[in-house]
Order: sequence, then C-alpha cells, then structure tokens
Amino acid sequence: MTGARRTAQDVGEFRAEVREWCREHIPAGWREAQTGVGEEEFVAFQKAWFQELRRAGFAVPHWPAEWGGGMPVAEQIVLYQELAAHDAPRLVLAFVAIHHAAATLLAAGTDEQRRRHLPAILDGEIWVQGFSEPGAGSDLAALSTTARRQGDGYVVNGQKVWASGAAHADWCLLLARTDPDAPKRRGISYFLLDMGTPGIDVRPVRQATGESHFCEIFLDDVVIPRTGLVGRENEGWRVAQETLGAERGMTMLELAERLGNAGFRWLVETCARSGLSGAPPLEDPLVADRLAGFETELTALRALCRDLVERHDAGTSGPADASVVKLFYSELLQRMTAFGAEIAGPAAHAELRKPLSSGWESGAWALDFIGSWEWTIPGGTSEIQRTIIGERGLGLPRESRSG
Amino acid sequence: MSTDFSDLHGELRAVARDLLGGAGRDRAPGWKAIAASGWPGLEVPEALGGSGATFAEVAVVLEEMGRAAASTPYFGTAVLSVAALDLLEPGPDRDELLRGIASGAALPAVALAGDTGTAVAARPPFRLERSARGLLLHGDAAFVPDAAGADRLLLPALAPGGEPVMVDARPDLAGIRVTAQPLLDASRAFGRVTAEAAVVAEGAVRRFAADPEAAFRHLGDRAAVAVACDGLGLSEAMLDTTVAYVGVREQFGRPVGSFQAVKHACADMFVRVAVARRLVEAAARALSAGDPDGWVAASMAKSYAGEAAVDVAGKAMQLHGGMGYTWESGVHVHLKRAMLDRSLFGSPAAHRRRIARRYR
Ligand SMILES: Cc1cc2nc3c(=O)[nH]c(=O)nc-3n(C[C@H](O)[C@H](O)[C@H](O)COP(=O)(O)OP(=O)(O)OC[C@H]3O[C@@H](n4cnc5c(N)ncnc54)[C@H](O)[C@@H]3O)c2cc1C
Repeated sequence: MTGARRTAQDVGEFRAEVREWCREHIPAGWREAQTGVGEEEFVAFQKAWFQELRRAGFAVPHWPAEWGGGMPVAEQIVLYQELAAHDAPRLVLAFVAIHHAAATLLAAGTDEQRRRHLPAILDGEIWVQGFSEPGAGSDLAALSTTARRQGDGYVVNGQKVWASGAAHADWCLLLARTDPDAPKRRGISYFLLDMGTPGIDVRPVRQATGESHFCEIFLDDVVIPRTGLVGRENEGWRVAQETLGAERGMTMLELAERLGNAGFRWLVETCARSGLSGAPPLEDPLVADRLAGFETELTALRALCRDLVERHDAGTSGPADASVVKLFYSELLQRMTAFGAEIAGPAAHAELRKPLSSGWESGAWALDFIGSWEWTIPGGTSEIQRTIIGERGLGLPRESRSG
Repeated sequence: MSTDFSDLHGELRAVARDLLGGAGRDRAPGWKAIAASGWPGLEVPEALGGSGATFAEVAVVLEEMGRAAASTPYFGTAVLSVAALDLLEPGPDRDELLRGIASGAALPAVALAGDTGTAVAARPPFRLERSARGLLLHGDAAFVPDAAGADRLLLPALAPGGEPVMVDARPDLAGIRVTAQPLLDASRAFGRVTAEAAVVAEGAVRRFAADPEAAFRHLGDRAAVAVACDGLGLSEAMLDTTVAYVGVREQFGRPVGSFQAVKHACADMFVRVAVARRLVEAAARALSAGDPDGWVAASMAKSYAGEAAVDVAGKAMQLHGGMGYTWESGVHVHLKRAMLDRSLFGSPAAHRRRIARRYR
C-alpha cells in the first residue's frame, strides 16, 4: 500500500496538481477572517473546508480505497507538504473522526458500524474521544465510568474530562467499565455513543490559551444500544491500545509536514525581520545555529514519521515506534515555539488570539508556545512516553507501580 | 550582611506574603493597602515620609508580587519612579513627588520602553528639541510598566545638548498620548507612551545629579533586576504548588510525585530556583550598594532568572497534567507572566552578550 510503486514522475505530477488545487481553493484571507471569531463561525468554516477537501479526494487520503481514501503514502506526504506550504486551514474539528474513530472502526468495528459511520464522517459527522476521567489520566485503566447491561443494551454513568471538541460532537468514542470485579484492564468495554442521547451534559472547560475547546462530559443513566459496542465486551482496553497506535502514524505524518513546511518557514521569517535592535536576529550566528539545528531535527522527524507509517503498513512496527515520534514531535514543537516567542520578544505577547483552524505553529509565537502543552500532556504525557520507550522499546525492567 | 538585615527581610517577606497571598489572584490588595504597608516609600528618605531602606528591601517585595502574580502598579509607580527621582538633582518638585509616592497619593510612571533590543537601552526613547514654540518633546516608548494608570509621567529624553534628562509631564499634556497595551499576561498593565511635538516648560526638565549616561543606564539595570525578582518569585510559587500537587495527585495507586520522572523534574526546578535566588539577591545587593560592576550582576540575574522562570512554570504545567492546562488552575497566569518577564528589559541573549563584552 506504500508509494513504492509510484515513480518520481507520478509524484511530481501529483504535486503540480495539488499546487494548482491549493491556489484555486484555499480561501484567501482566512487567517484574518478566523481570528477572534465565535464558535459557530469556526464550526461552519471547518465543515465547509472539510467538504472542499473531500470533493478533491483530499479529506481522508489515509483511509482504504473502498471508503474513499487509498492514496499512496508518497502522495499523502506531498499532499500534506503542499497544504502546509500554501498555508491551508487544518482540519481541527474532524480530527478525531477521520483519525481515531475511523481507525477504531476499521480495525475493530463491525461491517454495519463501518457502513453506518464512515460515510457519515465524510458527510461531516463530528467525533470526540471520551477516555480520560478525573481519576484516570495517565492511569487510564483506572477509569470508573460504568456501563451496566440492561435489556438489549447498556446504561452508562460517570464523568469524562478534557474531551476535546465535545461541545460540537455528534458521536463519542467511550471507554467504560463493564466488569467491576475483573482486573482493571479486563473489565473495560469500548462504545460508540450518540451524543444526542438523553442524560449527557457537556460543559466546556476554559484552557490556558483562553479558548474552551476541551470539555467535561457528565453521563447520567445514558443508554447505549448493544450495536454501540465495539469488539467484545470487556475487551475494550485491547481495542483502544491497538487503535491508538494505528492512528498515531497518520496524524503525525500531517503534523510533521506542517511543522516542517509552514512552522519552520515562519520561524525563519520571524528571525529575518528586523529585530528590536535594528539588525535581523538571523544575522546573529547563535540564532542561525538554532535554526539550522531545528531544520536538522525536522528532517529527521519527517523521516521518522514516514517510517512509522510504512512499518505499520508492512506490519513490522516496534512496540515503542509511535512513542518515539510523539515524544520527539511534541518536544520539538515546544522548543521551536519557545524560540519563536523569544525572538519575537514582547510584541508576541500583544497577539491575544491566534487564527482558529491554523496549525500548532500559527506564528503567534507566545500563544503557540502555551499551546504546545496540548501535545506534551494529552495522549500519554511525555513522561509516560519515555517510560514506554524504556520499558517496551528497550526492555528495561518496569518501575514498580501497582495496578 | 548583618543579621538585622535578614531579620528585616524575613519580616517584610512574611507581611508581603500575607497581604498579597491572602487577597487571591484576582483581587490584589488595593493601592491604599499597599501604601499603608509602606512599600511604595521603602526607598524614599525618612524625611520625606519614606523608610529610607534600599533596593534590597524593594527586591523582597517585588519577589513576593511575582509569587502572587499580583496586579499592582508597584513596579512602574514605586520601583522605577523612586529610582528615577533618586537619581535626579534634588529640588522641591522632586521631593514633593517622592512624598506623594510614599503616601500613596501619587501614581507616576517612568516611560522606559520594555522592548529594548539590547540589555539596557542605549539611549532614552524621547528627545527634546528647541523651537520657536519652546521645548518640544518627541518620541515613543512601548511596553511601559503601569503607564496607562499613571497620573504623572517621567520621560527619559535626550536634551538638546545630547545628554539624558528626565521630563516631568502630566499624561494629559497636549501632544502626549498614553494607550493601554493589552497583553497575554493580564496580571499586569503596560502601555505605550508617545510624544509628538509636545510643548514642555523649561522647568519640567530635570537633570540627573551625576553622570547622566550612567544614571540612565542604572535605571535600565534597575528595571532588569526588578523583572528578575518577579521571575524568581513566580518560579518559587510554581515550585511550591507543583510539589504540593504531585504529592497528593494519585495515579497507578500512588502519588505521581513518587515516580522518579516527576521527582527528578521537581528536583531540577528546585535547583534552578536556588541558583536564580543567589543571582537575584547578589544583583539587588550590588545595585543598592552602587557597585560600579553592578551591571554584570544585573545581567546575570536577568538572563538566568528569566529563563529559569519560564522553564519552571512550564514544568509546573506539565506536572499538573490536564489540570495544569486549565484556565482555572492559574498555572497559565504564572507561565505568561514568566514569558513576558523573560522578554522585557533585555532578552537573556542580550544580557549574556553584555556580560561577554568583558572577555574581549
Ligand atoms: C489539551 C488537552 C486535550 C485533551 N484531549 C483529550 C481528549 O480529547 N480525550 C481524552 O480522553 N483525554 C484528553 N485529554 C486528557 C489527557 O490524555 C490527560 O490529561 C493525560 O493522559 C494526563 O492525565 P492527567 O491529566 O490525569 O495527568 P496525571 O496522570 O495526573 O499526570 C500528572 C503528572 O504526573 C506524571 N505521571 C503520571 N503517572 C506517571 C508515571 N507512571 N510515571 C511518570 N510520570 C507520571 C504525568 O506525566 C504528569 O506530568 C486532553 C488533555 C489536554 C491537556
């Protein structure tokens, strides 16, 4: 399924095609228009952009061909490079739907579940991931939301936290405990929850950046029909583990190209503008040295991401490959945005809003730097990734921990 | 230093922590309460209603304000203004303003630009020009601490003769404009001060008592060390709350602080704070003693404490997990303030460049 069969000429033609498409379809001035807008406008813009990409076959290139994807990896990379280079908006709202939800359905869903949801996602169905709880973050398996069998379905009670985008979600990927007596990883099931079900209360939580994108979800006697179960009862932990890894490669491919093609370019531009003392910071050898260091690391990041996808497709992934990429990307993003904020100086602090729908590196460096913790904390913190690399990747003895 | 001094500092610190901490983040004590505590007049001579203390004591208050991320005009109004007035030739106007600051009645600001490209600004942001209409003031200073609320402006300017002076003006003087600059760090107030051919009276031009170039540079060093004090205080706050949090937050059936990754991160924060404290205290002492090499200590303190504060606040956010990323936890308040401190009055790189000039 990789792009190996493609010749360099094919890829070159594809690049030309994407470039032309970008020039014709990326809404001019979207950054300014999306800076400081309300939630409704943001959602409408995201949905419209998704359909624009879909019409071109660019919305879910990583899905299998039968569901509307099937783009060779080599072309996906070109697509992401060009979208970034032309400063296209990112798919923020559909992120969980096209990555996490799709990966889960493809790997563990029934045919019926796939038929029900994959086309709906293409039509704009929004998903949220409801895994974390107040008492279950790094120790996700400690989750205590319960799903009790009742009649032909389940009744769910509990609380989820930090669920990104829950306020706009139609469906939720939910982990809940179905067997309170089993060892904690063996009593969890994986559900698809319709967010329109009675008993669900979503409350946005304000974030460090001032936006309220992540939410608490309160679940009070919420009914999920049996058809909402993914995989077998009490095997939800395994399903989650498998799909988390599958999704990681594809998301990183896009993000690495963004950071490399848009983020880095802006960082160089920031350094090339005349600085506070007159001369452009770039003339300072120390600044040039830092930039060259970043470019070097970005080159490696992009190679690592490509490798991750190809090894996943070939079934040769190592147990810590995804952790290596996630850790390296998150911390590189944090260092690059920190540097941007440092170079931009006090002026960066006067940018109070960044354009919605932009990448993690929007050029509003102080806000971007604060936003970089959205990478080092969620989805397994950097500390947890290091432990995974040490224990699963290198086979070091486990740090004693109960549970 | 004498034990008397450390006693005084300890007492000052305890009172400050009580007054600032007790108020809570969004309800900093009013200027009345701060004036009643005597902090604005710490460096004002006793004869003028102050306590005749030194910058070393002011530094203690600044540090506590950073710790509480307090919203007060102390930095612009008291710290920079008193320092500027102290450097001027004595006179009745000057004395009256000092008396006003000490009593809490006057709220002046010094129009020093916070976005200097060098460690300390090479020259004043304003200049005076002699014209048929009299003396005209031109210039522009951004990121001026506490400018927007000031009832009096002290504008560092180059006199027609080329030497730095201070222009004493009301903010509503024709030709002067003060605008608030809203920043990510909402715990403090900054503003932009512009002067476009503002006509100033001869009597409003105040001369520095000694070498004006050195006096102006000293003011820049003051600003840099004051910001370093703030950064030190907020680093300590972040270390304390993080240690408290990871001691009680449990995952995997034990406090997360029991995991070596977390413990070591806290230990690194502690070491950075300890190092920053030594440098900041040394700089405050050097400046208050008038040490001619004080600028080296100032640059060391500003560059190190500024970076340490961002690292420590960032680690605090990381170690609080999702909770740390919420608005409600308040970690972001300290992180944003630390980031701004790092970039104000000379970046770490600019201060290190100044230190390194001595090697050649
Ligand atoms: C912006 C954002 C978006 C998010 N989006 C979602 C979402 O959409 N859906 C969802 O389900 N969740 C989401 N999360 C939750 C995220 O996955 C958790 O915050 C994360 O897993 C950490 O859990 P915690 O917050 O409980 O921190 P804790 O687990 O309490 O961790 C606190 C600190 O202790 C450290 N620590 C904990 N255990 C260990 C250990 N064994 N060894 C070493 N260090 C350890 C951590 O690294 C961290 O620094 C989001 C979080 C954020 C910040």
